[in-house]
Amino acid sequence: MTRTSWGATLLTILLSLAIGAAAIMLLGYDPVEAYYQLFRGAFVGKFNIGGVFERFVPLMLTALAFAVSAKVSVFNVGVEGELYLGAMAAAWAGYALTGLHPVVHVPVCFALAMVVAGAWGAIPGALKAYWRVNEVCVTILMNYVAIFFTSYLVGNPFSARTSIPRTPSIEESAKLLRFLKPSRVNIGLFVAIGVLLLVWWVLYHTTWGFRLRHTGQNPDFSEYVGIPPKKVMVWGMILSGAIGGLAGAIEVMGIHGHFLDNFSPGIAFDGMLASLIAKNDIRMVPVLALFLAVLKTGALGMERFTGVPKTLIDTIIAVFILLAAMEALFSWKRRGAASAGEGA
Amino acid sequence: MSSILIEMSGINKEFPGVKAVQDGMFTLEEGEIHSLVGENGAGKSTLMKILYGMYSPESGTITVRGESFPSLTPKRAIGMGIGMVHQEFMLVREMTVLENIILGFEPRRGAMIDRRAALDKIDYYARTYGLSVHPDKKVGEISVGEAQRVEIIKTMYRGAEILVLDEPTAVLTPQESEQLFEILRSMKKDGKSIVFISHKLREVLEISDRVTVMRGGRHIATLDGSSATAPELARLMVGREVFLGGTPVPSEPGEVALSVEGVYVPGEKELSKLRGVSFSVRRGEILGIAGVNGNGQSELAEAIAGLRPVQRGRVVLGGVEVQNMPPRKIREHGLSHIPEDRNLRGLDRQSDVKENLAACSFSEPPLSRGGVVNWGRVREFADDLIRSYDIRPAGVDVPAAGLSGGNAQKVVVAREVSGRAPVLLASQPTRGVDIGSIETIRAELNRAKKEGAAVVLISSDLEEILSLSDRIAVMFEGRITGEVSSSEADELSLGLLMTGGRR
Amino acid sequence: MDTTNDILSLVFNATLFHSTIRAATPILYATLACVLTQQADILNIGVEGIMIFSAFAAVATSYFAGSWVLALVAAIIVGVVVAAFMAFAHLGAKADIFVVGMGVNMLAIALTRFLLQRIFGVSGSFHHNDIVAMPRLSFDFGGSELLNDLFNDYSLFEPVGIVLVFVLAFILYKTVWGLRLRSTGLNPQAAETAGINVTMRKFEVMLYSGVLGGIAGAHLSLGYSRMFVENMTNGRGFMGVAAMFFGGANPVWGWVGCLIFGFADSVGSRLQSLGLPSQFILMIPYLATVLVLTLAMMRKKRAETARKSAL
Repeated sequence: MTRTSWGATLLTILLSLAIGAAAIMLLGYDPVEAYYQLFRGAFVGKFNIGGVFERFVPLMLTALAFAVSAKVSVFNVGVEGELYLGAMAAAWAGYALTGLHPVVHVPVCFALAMVVAGAWGAIPGALKAYWRVNEVCVTILMNYVAIFFTSYLVGNPFSARTSIPRTPSIEESAKLLRFLKPSRVNIGLFVAIGVLLLVWWVLYHTTWGFRLRHTGQNPDFSEYVGIPPKKVMVWGMILSGAIGGLAGAIEVMGIHGHFLDNFSPGIAFDGMLASLIAKNDIRMVPVLALFLAVLKTGALGMERFTGVPKTLIDTIIAVFILLAAMEALFSWKRRGAASAGEGA
Repeated sequence: MSSILIEMSGINKEFPGVKAVQDGMFTLEEGEIHSLVGENGAGKSTLMKILYGMYSPESGTITVRGESFPSLTPKRAIGMGIGMVHQEFMLVREMTVLENIILGFEPRRGAMIDRRAALDKIDYYARTYGLSVHPDKKVGEISVGEAQRVEIIKTMYRGAEILVLDEPTAVLTPQESEQLFEILRSMKKDGKSIVFISHKLREVLEISDRVTVMRGGRHIATLDGSSATAPELARLMVGREVFLGGTPVPSEPGEVALSVEGVYVPGEKELSKLRGVSFSVRRGEILGIAGVNGNGQSELAEAIAGLRPVQRGRVVLGGVEVQNMPPRKIREHGLSHIPEDRNLRGLDRQSDVKENLAACSFSEPPLSRGGVVNWGRVREFADDLIRSYDIRPAGVDVPAAGLSGGNAQKVVVAREVSGRAPVLLASQPTRGVDIGSIETIRAELNRAKKEGAAVVLISSDLEEILSLSDRIAVMFEGRITGEVSSSEADELSLGLLMTGGRR
Repeated sequence: MDTTNDILSLVFNATLFHSTIRAATPILYATLACVLTQQADILNIGVEGIMIFSAFAAVATSYFAGSWVLALVAAIIVGVVVAAFMAFAHLGAKADIFVVGMGVNMLAIALTRFLLQRIFGVSGSFHHNDIVAMPRLSFDFGGSELLNDLFNDYSLFEPVGIVLVFVLAFILYKTVWGLRLRSTGLNPQAAETAGINVTMRKFEVMLYSGVLGGIAGAHLSLGYSRMFVENMTNGRGFMGVAAMFFGGANPVWGWVGCLIFGFADSVGSRLQSLGLPSQFILMIPYLATVLVLTLAMMRKKRAETARKSAL
């Protein structure tokens, strides 16, 4: 990402906040006070800071999952489904496997979540790589299948038989250690940051990442220099799915303690938009995820102390995304209009 | 008695990095068939697209029936009775022939399409000029020949009196071409005027009243069709202001390193499908494969490199049958490949120079160990290549998209040649490259040969073929139509072979 | 054995026909909105958002003005405005239509939630006796229970939707306008050389798509019920996109897709009310769509291989 587009993103953020300020003023509130409370609501106090990180983790991981798939030029809209499947897999491993030491149990839950979600991600990847089936469509559809499937599991074989459909609580040994109590932030935060760094390192410092990036940037070139682009595309989607699954696992093991039917209000869609605005740049992904998490968390404080409804902040986020999309005049023209200049 | 319908003069058109047409001129008289000939990139299509209003020129005037314009639009051109059949058909494959013909000019009954009226009109043109088509078939289901007839009817339907055909026979079988000529003659008899773009001299001589030759974007000559001869046209077409090459350096061929035996390869167009191509190359020699683009050379290169399936036949590389192996395996068996399109395949334009240079060797030590890339080593490696191949600007972090054509091509050549593979397949290695880079690249090919590599040079540039090759094979319509040693070859005889003539 | 039969007769009876239509109709309007834009090669993923905005506008207008006709008009106007904004962002500001669509969906949920609080002082949902619903069609079939089950008590826009399917099919495939529209999506260059202004066409169909999305929203809030619920589309816009894909952008086949969705939905909810797992039934339309898409692409690939073959 070049310096100018960092600047453009910053400008878009400021513009959206200005629009928000105008709206707050129109509603008869003091925008300075509102933003001040928003800031306090996000950064002052353990509960608030913890709240930011609580939201940051799934946002960042799902954004990362989307960014990874975009690196192999697949638009993985299916991260939401992968999140659900990963969450369910982790919940099952969390309550069904008993008597394990946490050092074993937690990684087992993570691994199962990642394998299940990765395999799920491989399906649209393979359909696109080998038959050019539109992955946006397939992944949107597969989200529903995944969510229905987890809904079936949580209602029937894996049900805790409680009034709300959920699985039994996971074993203590599968729970992620919390800190900054009373917030629910947990060591999943460090797992997520670790995964971010690892993915970045893999993409830019390993031969595997080399293949992945070149496949996404120019599959014809990859094929020609001896990289199998179809296989790499599928592997990229497996990695993307696995990251989405990990996000679900952390939600279950760190936040809820069980799988709850329909637990995600479209987390992965927010993550996807964060990644899209970051132009799928791995370095920008955490910045935007943090920005969104701060706004969403701080909005609660703002509402409590100034009466400005938090839904206004959601509106501002949406406006920000729309503005950022329009600012992105150049990078969103899909590939294909390359050089047509030579030869007449 | 014939009056001038169209006069184009002083036309200039530039694309980024290329002067496509320079001081272009062209006249068309009423009721004539006027051929426009030249090599690929001579500016024929560009000049005609300017006439049809698809491009607007930087300067020049277009006069149609006495009325002058600086530029036109397709709508304008259609309104003045100009129709064009493009090389890439402008047809909607999913729609029927009828729908394609009437699109934009539909006969209506209220808001509905008046099918009856459309059919009648189509039927009229079909009968008048012998253009048989199936109005209710989807375009995706008809033959290329029929699609072309659809295109011609489309122009007639829109009221064209002047018809421009861009390489119409490039996609046709000989029989279909013969049919097309009949159609064109009957149209001429009916008073229509026709511009026929081609590089097949035999056809041009058969049908033209006048012939205009273009080369390097310029008008070279306009001759009378009845008095022009193939050798003369060939000379005008390939003649050159700058003659770069010398003669091939002496060679001592060793054992056969690559042989292609009766391969059949699927093609993008009917005439570029390979049907039984065979040849072999020895170490220490350059085999030139000449031919006009689109006669199967691209398919041949891709098939050898593993980028396109081989349906029948064998490709033997260093004693091993490699057909249909994945590209990486073929490279491991000793092939390096300069692809014909550096922007599509040769480079990852979104990456920097070092990644492009290392793309074939990044997975081996010393550039990486245990799957971890050693960027320090990659930089050194890339730096070395940049210096020895004089790539400018000399930075390993320069994005490939920022390089000029010549330097971009040098990146490709450096990557492929530096591996010292026993077989080097070079496809159009100097296309769109500046003169300095051309010299460097050609010198590299000669050095590879001297060091004992077997080189296959595929080029549509005859001068390049003649100045480098020890032996020359000519491809025409998916087959090798002749093979000559460089000592007995000259531009004229090759030019005739390339355009479908007999030696 | 007996219980199985009981269950089957509870699930599959004459009222299933009606409930299938009922469940399919909002999806159908979304589908038709997507069909129109897809014909111009625009994937209108924002139809979900358009529906939410329009549903809200319809409820608010109906509440304040006391007229379902005005409510419908308001819903359509809002739908067109949102669609026009999307068209501007995509065609004018060159934003990716996918991002714009997702952004509009997000904006719709947030803004209507905000307005719900602001205007009506409630959160979650709003219903009131002053809200006038759309009329229902009732006929006198005498005592015939079967005919009543099958054909009575439809909301106005349920039959209208079915008529619209065929009207749209006629427009797309029989009129000059339809021919030109399809050509812009299938081969814009060919359309351009035939003197058709492709960008203007795209803008135009986005507006019509806003009209259909507006009707979808109004029907959802006033045809079905008399209330607005946060995120009340609940993915029906996406289902519309899926049904459009299922039908390959053909309105009639898209309708068939909607009916499959509606059927699965009705059977699913009946099973659920009987305490039986419904999820596998609910999955069917999605799986069917994936299958249809995959088979179509496989066939295309085979045809291409055959076309290129040198043998």
